[in-house]
Amino acid sequence: MAITNKKKSVVIIGLGWVGSIVGIELAQEGYEVLALERGKDRDTVPDWSYPRTADELKYGLRLDEAVRPRDHTVTIRRHLDDVAFPYRQLGSFLPGIGVGGAGIHWNAQAWRPHSEELYLRTYIEQTFGNIIPEDMAVQDWGVTYNELEPYFDMFEKVAGVSGMAGNIKGRIQEGGNPFEAWRSNSYPMPAQPLTYNGHLFSEAARSLGYHPFPFPAAIASRAYTNPYGMQMGPCNFCGFCERYGCLNYSKGSPQVSILAALKQHKNFEYRTNSDVLRIEKSPDEKTVSGVTYIDLTGKEVFQPADLVILSGFMINNVHLLLVSGLGQPYDPYSGEGVIGRNYAYQTINGSGTLFFRDKVFNPFVGSGANAACIDDFGFGRIDLAREGFIGGSRIDCSQTNGQPIRSMPLPAGTPEWGSKWKEAIGEWYGHAVTIGQHGTNMTYRDAYLDLDPNYRDKYGRPLMRMTFNWHENDIRLSQYISKQIDKIAEAMEPDSYHPAPMQDNQPYDVRIYQTTHTVGGAIMGENPTRSALNRYLQHWDYHNLFVPGANAFPQNIQQNPTGTIGALTYWMIASLKNDYLRNPRPLV
Amino acid sequence: MVYKTLFSKEKKLTRRGLLTGACTCAAVALSARYALAQQEQSVPLENYQRAYFNAEEWTFVMAATARLIPSEGNGPGAIEARVPVFIDRQMALPWGRGEHWYREGPFERDAPRYTGYQAAPSPAEAYRLAIPRINRWCTEKYGDIFAGLPAEEQDEALVRIENDEVPIDEIRSGDFFAFLLQNTREGYLSDPMYGGNHDMAAWVYINFPGARASFAEWVEKDNIRYRLGPVSLSGERA
Amino acid sequence: MRWFFRLVFWFVVFCLVIFLVVILVPVKRSDPITVLPQDYKSPEGRGLYLALMADCAACHTAPGGKIYAGGQVVQSPFGPIYASNITPGKNGIAGWSLDDFRAVLRDGLRPDGTQLYPAMPYESYRKISDEDIFALYDYFMNSVKPVDEKVKQTNLIFPFNQRWGIRIWNWFAIPGKPGFRPRYGDALLDRGAYLVESLAHCGDCHTPRDILFRQSGLDASHPEFLTGQTLDDWSSPDLRGPDSSLARWSSEDIKLYLMSGRNRYSAAVGPMKLVIKDSLQYATPADIEAIVAYLEKIRMPGKPAQPVRDPDITTALLTGADPGMPPGARLYLDNCNACHRVDGKGAAEVFPELDGARLVNASDSSGLIRVILEGSRLPSTRIRPADLAMPGFAWRLNDEEAAELVNFLRTGWTNKAAPVTAADIAKVRAEPSAD
Repeated sequence: MAITNKKKSVVIIGLGWVGSIVGIELAQEGYEVLALERGKDRDTVPDWSYPRTADELKYGLRLDEAVRPRDHTVTIRRHLDDVAFPYRQLGSFLPGIGVGGAGIHWNAQAWRPHSEELYLRTYIEQTFGNIIPEDMAVQDWGVTYNELEPYFDMFEKVAGVSGMAGNIKGRIQEGGNPFEAWRSNSYPMPAQPLTYNGHLFSEAARSLGYHPFPFPAAIASRAYTNPYGMQMGPCNFCGFCERYGCLNYSKGSPQVSILAALKQHKNFEYRTNSDVLRIEKSPDEKTVSGVTYIDLTGKEVFQPADLVILSGFMINNVHLLLVSGLGQPYDPYSGEGVIGRNYAYQTINGSGTLFFRDKVFNPFVGSGANAACIDDFGFGRIDLAREGFIGGSRIDCSQTNGQPIRSMPLPAGTPEWGSKWKEAIGEWYGHAVTIGQHGTNMTYRDAYLDLDPNYRDKYGRPLMRMTFNWHENDIRLSQYISKQIDKIAEAMEPDSYHPAPMQDNQPYDVRIYQTTHTVGGAIMGENPTRSALNRYLQHWDYHNLFVPGANAFPQNIQQNPTGTIGALTYWMIASLKNDYLRNPRPLV
Repeated sequence: MVYKTLFSKEKKLTRRGLLTGACTCAAVALSARYALAQQEQSVPLENYQRAYFNAEEWTFVMAATARLIPSEGNGPGAIEARVPVFIDRQMALPWGRGEHWYREGPFERDAPRYTGYQAAPSPAEAYRLAIPRINRWCTEKYGDIFAGLPAEEQDEALVRIENDEVPIDEIRSGDFFAFLLQNTREGYLSDPMYGGNHDMAAWVYINFPGARASFAEWVEKDNIRYRLGPVSLSGERA
Repeated sequence: MRWFFRLVFWFVVFCLVIFLVVILVPVKRSDPITVLPQDYKSPEGRGLYLALMADCAACHTAPGGKIYAGGQVVQSPFGPIYASNITPGKNGIAGWSLDDFRAVLRDGLRPDGTQLYPAMPYESYRKISDEDIFALYDYFMNSVKPVDEKVKQTNLIFPFNQRWGIRIWNWFAIPGKPGFRPRYGDALLDRGAYLVESLAHCGDCHTPRDILFRQSGLDASHPEFLTGQTLDDWSSPDLRGPDSSLARWSSEDIKLYLMSGRNRYSAAVGPMKLVIKDSLQYATPADIEAIVAYLEKIRMPGKPAQPVRDPDITTALLTGADPGMPPGARLYLDNCNACHRVDGKGAAEVFPELDGARLVNASDSSGLIRVILEGSRLPSTRIRPADLAMPGFAWRLNDEEAAELVNFLRTGWTNKAAPVTAADIAKVRAEPSAD
């Protein structure tokens, strides 16, 4: 029989970015808050101490900061009639675990979407007419960019973003992205400097009439104190950023940006090694009564709560909704149901690598967001009716790391081993530049999440099954962007250039790391038959359950999701503080 | 003379407390590891005390890695870098035992490669299963076990192993090859504390600074080659 | 020869007289300076605040122990001294009168007449006003949770267990009447002086002690007051001289340091961290301002010494990253540069500077060595919650390397301090600190 704890006002599932933001904002209001984190506790010192964290094998390859599939994983298939296989080793995406979650090992690329992306369906229909294919499930989000703008601003201040603004209240700024959505303020810190590759790319892009600018980075470009009094040190371009905890207090993360300030509140408590099994429904079927979790000794514990915030990694969020029976699971055949519908990824394949015999790049000088890019082919810039796809992408030239095992680009045709391989690494390490893309990924009737019929986790719960493949629309986008990359590469005049565009009908390959930007599955929207959450991220059916996270995205935006997740979280908190908590009820 | 104050507020009770004890233990453990690493590296490869591989497996791994990263040419080969030591040690660690992976059945040896590795054996098991079969196959096809063949035939055999030509029940030979190649690269270029990249020679070869992780003043030195040699995690310098 | 015996005889007589005087003349408590009205009440929260400013918990709360229940050991050169239980429980101060309480703070006397060792800083506390003593008494008797635990008794070896000896010492160490006499005619400065000299008792660490272990001055009229000393293994710096850190800092810098343990130049290390964590971070902004004003007032005149060399030399050496660089510089790049940077300036309020840092240049190098070997973590404070930490490098540097690195620091940029040897490193390494 499960132990029952004393009730808490607020129970937060998952102490990553979202959980930490909700934690501090509600603890500051005086609520009794408990966060349950399935993983272990972590902090800059000792866990990411200089220099011990600069260990490519441990963190870059064995992925010690990410989840172990042994503990939590999914099954994956491409088509509705495939059998799904377990994601047995990490590859394509790296979910987070532990205090700080994926907010520890992210690249800290801190973006906002284009404003049109938040009402994508309406925008496409109004601008291009009836070009959205039948099987494309894209939707409007139910909240507008203008409503969210102050919260993007807040998240950027908290995470400590360095960048060059391009559009401040409608006034275009030199050196920034002229196509970005308007912002009320410039970035909290000036943009990071660029390495040589970024300079070469920017020159070439400018020569073609494009508008290059540096990536916005939640990586401090100087000493910084955020609104919670938390502090960041200036980044030293150590080259051990993504997959690693930051050794320098430079990369925004829950630890760097929030947690010590949060822990000062006596009304906040957190428990690690507490894996939530289920969110429990109340007898009234209109609310949830709390959560059942396995504590660190392996005992089952019931934690009652007035308000539950489900803020784990989005895969975990959707899985919990499914195993808890909270909302009707989506059926791709009938098109009915909401939990699991609209799963998407990121159109990120299709890069090109340039080699320069006589130019020297020190590839180990990098940060997770060290990049120049152009948004000239971003969402809203392309004549979609003419080009025959829906989407948009940035084109970027980054140098995030030179870790020699996993970042060793070699000219196409170089053997994978033997003396020619050894010769090539001596010849070409430090002489390569990669241009990449990162674009929208639409949602489709047949890309979704549900429970697997064959495989179970260590608690006996069915694994979540991911049905996803690259669809023609997104492959076309990627191929189009690859052609633009080719032009920029040519303008950079390399000694050799090796493009790797997506192929027609290319299957989703889970072995290769692409990105951890998995989104959807418990989406926000205006229609409760086609979304799981209303515009405040409140579950349509259980009004004291909120599910902030990338699960809420009805399709994937062009840029990295974390900035939008942060903004949605602060937006949700405003409705909790000003409305819901004073008068708990369905808000829509 | 150092003039001490009369009274000082030392928290004597925590002197042997957990935290200090842990730090001391960690410091001792790490310096022990440093000492162990130093010791190991002075042991010739033939006298290395293996953690996992048996004699047949070790012989194969020595010979195969020597072809994957040969000694001739600039830069160390796998043998000079002590890659076989790295691989042997990895097999005895959780990753080698497959403890990071989801390992519930049913498995599927022949699943399409883009679904990820779906066969049952852990890396350590894969080496143990594959190597005797490869040696048998080599003897059939070439007249001797892998280690006894001339270099060109070894290279040809490796290509065929990669192409799944060697029959092994539990795992495609190409999947075993993928582990071997990956581990070889890891052993060549990872921090020396893991047993490979001896004396950081591979890092010196490609000009990678190791664990220095500090380059703020180099960000805008466009087209200027960084020349300072590498430092390892334990502080060795080259 | 007879003169010799006569000398001895009179000497013995003299000692006997002293002894009899000390034993027979009753210990007299000091009278209150201000007699408070019968119905006097302290402002709400005053006692709690004063207990924080006086940092009673630093000694009277053992690590992991109940608040103010004692048991904390205070090391003295004469042996361990155990802080007592000062909760209003049994074996604590249950039943004590205000006069009893006052006598401890002003005279170092227990209600039964036992003399306390000056580990209890009554040298400084005797300046606390009667109003504040009342507030403290009220707080300890009525707001602190009673704990009945008995605490280990202090038992020093002979002759230091002869507490009557302390009485003699008191005659030399604390002449004059107790209480604070305002001397600046300025409310802010006098408040600052009061805080520093009494409650915060900064002089107990920051004032040198003479051959009799007395503080060389209990207020700023003495030139040695707050000019620094070596405490345990940490040298507490000079707070007044033209070459002191404070002389270089602005008022804002000093304020931030007192409130958070960090400012754009420096980060607190060693016991000062605890002072900030347990006491100063709770000071009101007005009190911080007062302390800062007083510290600035008592600054000694004079110009700071000119830098001995151009700091850019070291900066250029490190930036160049030339493989032929000297070993100390190489060690700096491999261990320190990530945070402290090529110019040795760190980053404001996050990574303290090394160029010009007092800790780096101190003649006693043990504090610097200790920080390098063990690292240091700042406390989480109200205005700066991040408990920023430097990792330790004991595991990565042997004694020779650490000495090489220390010597590089002590002759790098504008720094100038005597070199250390591997033996100096080994000595610190052999005695790890408690926290």
